[in-house]
Amino acid sequence: MSKVYKDPITGVETTGHVWDDTLMEFNNPLPMWWIWTFYATVIFAIVYWVIYPSWPSGLVEKGYFIGTSEITYQNTDKKGTTTAQTTHWNTRALLAYEMQNDENELKRKKYLKEVAAMSYDDIAKDSDKSSFVRSYGKGIFGDYCAACHQTGGQGVIGHYPNLVDDAWLWGGSAAEIQKTISDGRKGNMPSFAKTLSDTEITNVANFVLSLSGTEHDVASAKEGKLIFNGKGGCMACHTPAGTGLAALGSANLTDKIWTQADVPHAKDKVAVVSAVVKSGIQREMPTWKTRLSEDEIKVLVAYVKLLSAE
Amino acid sequence: MAHSTVGSLEQYNYDIVKKFTIMAIFWGIAGMTTGVYIASELAWPFLNFDTAQITFGRLRPLHTSGVIFGFGGNALFATSYYVVQRTSQARLWGGSLWPNITFYGWNIAIALAGMGYLMGITQGREYAEPEWYIDILIAIVWLIYFVIYTMTLLRRNQPHIYVANWFFMSFILATALLHIFNNLAVPLSFTDTKSYSLFSGAQDAMTQWWYGHNAVGFFLTAAFLGMMYYFVPKQAGRPVYSYRLSVVHFWALSFMYMWVGTHHLHWTAIPDWTSSLAAVFSILLLMPSWGGMINGIMTLSGAWDKLRTDPIMMFMITSLSFYGMSTFEGPMMALKSVNALSHYTDWTVGHVHSGALGWVAMISIASFYHMIPRLWNTTMHSVKLIYTHFFLATIGILLYITALWVSGIGQGLMLRAFDDYGNLKYSFIETVVFMHGPLVARAVGGLFFVTGMLIMAYNVYKTISNAKNNPRIPTNSATAA
Repeated sequence: MSKVYKDPITGVETTGHVWDDTLMEFNNPLPMWWIWTFYATVIFAIVYWVIYPSWPSGLVEKGYFIGTSEITYQNTDKKGTTTAQTTHWNTRALLAYEMQNDENELKRKKYLKEVAAMSYDDIAKDSDKSSFVRSYGKGIFGDYCAACHQTGGQGVIGHYPNLVDDAWLWGGSAAEIQKTISDGRKGNMPSFAKTLSDTEITNVANFVLSLSGTEHDVASAKEGKLIFNGKGGCMACHTPAGTGLAALGSANLTDKIWTQADVPHAKDKVAVVSAVVKSGIQREMPTWKTRLSEDEIKVLVAYVKLLSAE
Repeated sequence: MAHSTVGSLEQYNYDIVKKFTIMAIFWGIAGMTTGVYIASELAWPFLNFDTAQITFGRLRPLHTSGVIFGFGGNALFATSYYVVQRTSQARLWGGSLWPNITFYGWNIAIALAGMGYLMGITQGREYAEPEWYIDILIAIVWLIYFVIYTMTLLRRNQPHIYVANWFFMSFILATALLHIFNNLAVPLSFTDTKSYSLFSGAQDAMTQWWYGHNAVGFFLTAAFLGMMYYFVPKQAGRPVYSYRLSVVHFWALSFMYMWVGTHHLHWTAIPDWTSSLAAVFSILLLMPSWGGMINGIMTLSGAWDKLRTDPIMMFMITSLSFYGMSTFEGPMMALKSVNALSHYTDWTVGHVHSGALGWVAMISIASFYHMIPRLWNTTMHSVKLIYTHFFLATIGILLYITALWVSGIGQGLMLRAFDDYGNLKYSFIETVVFMHGPLVARAVGGLFFVTGMLIMAYNVYKTISNAKNNPRIPTNSATAA
């Protein structure tokens, strides 16, 4: 079909094509603003193309874009020599540049350097430095420690010690915590399943419960005390008083803080303690000195001490 | 005109158009309801009920496939078969057999794919989740679709091919190309559902996003522009604003789109130049995209009064506005510096929905309200309900995208905030806590939209049953046009 129609409103004619009785097209030119905006995007595209190089134009190398699209950063080669390097824009160079020059990165480094040079006591007294420890420590604790000890440091009973209470298996001084993090720890309690009978284990469990004043069978605990200090040899690690030894990582049994048997929530408290005596404990915290810097470990120690102080 | 007196109900194959239309509404409601459910899971995670089959990860592809391929796909089959017949003044090629094969093949493929997702069968490629055996089924269906479409065009009783058909053809060709290359994979065996991609690493990612973005480009943009080019001038009763603009923006759009997919991979392990290239082409794509919006909106000039009286026209103008807005937002988000903030946040999800709900769904809904009375030779049961649908849909979209701008930009800013000591200020979970409110608002927005779809389903049901109970004698296409 071919029929030219003239629009009574605008006076523009159609192309003369007609489809489906009524479909036609006006012969309007391209809107000028549309064309010019398109040209503007072309210019924008070319500029963008040069600034974020998509084509080796050689213009950056000749120094035409100093300060716009070239990046200078400090590069350390395999021999350990650091030299300034200038290159066209690319994501690797940008990352290197930002890690060396970003305002926040510099601020963080400055704080880290200052904290590294201070004693733990001085850090604790300085509220600004303590706040830095809290802020930076939260991040590295989250990255490396929280997988086991949980985000808040509350641990998982039976698996990972709680860091926010006052009980420390391996000692709670800064020096001891630092050693724990740097070198890791291996906790080991032998299984008594073969050396003690079930009755004897029940008796020991009752005695252990009595040490912290938890409800227990008095007669059984009396028998258990003899085994604790005699045949079982428990006192060798836990001491005759049951207070444990930080040097061995043996638990204090008198403080009502439980890391293995969930005594506070157990219905049969004797059974959960007996189970630990029977199976023994093997647990390990890995060494971190190969993965974290001394400064990072220092912040972590200060951070963990802050957690337990709160 | 001589041929137009031939009753269009006999002249054209409307049966296939009706089937696809009804399935589009079905999948629309199913897919969007799933969308509202997973949006609610994000706001209230207990809704996962610790049941693997209904967790967000499995339902999400059910939602995306349901709305893109179920709703969008069926809507495109329906409208393209309708448009190609009417603008060629020729009956659809292939008798009733071949078009029916595309209908059953396409819908069975979607149903099979959806059941697979629930069981955890997926390629893990966004918008290309179906495994190899469904991909083969889709490829066969698509080839038949291509043949039917081309043969119908060859039969046309018109010297020229109408602009809507150019867009539909580019959609059919590009989708075939994208689907086949992105799904090149080696199955473990012919009895195993699992397959592995032929590509690996950065090449695999770039192939996937070449596909992924052109699914947006050719499936969700070019094809729906085809829809727009027929139904907007028809509904407005006005000629298309500019023939020249339609030619120029068609070729520009088709050429530019193919390059931009890599902007989905900014700041990842791809060569920098590919990322820059994608950003640049995304900016160049802005005006070619807007060509369609200009042609649509300017077609209305001289018929502005219809906006007061015609709810279908309101759907159309709103959909073109959302189209213009999201094709402006897209290139901005494709710039590396903006993308650094927006990527991996809800801003992206909001952007997609301003296109998918605002543009794709609204132009489809408008086309259905125009087409359905003509297919069944009747009038819509209730115009008031079309108004209600329009307002529910518009309020829903506005709630949805505003909520996700807040959520996405807010989270993006939180993730890059530093405290006074040079450390990151917020942990990830703190950003999630912040997002809770906007995520609730988003789910409510989605609910508005689904409610509108349910009203449409009711309105269409009443229309069709009225038509069946009170059949009109088919006269000529003047009453049906």
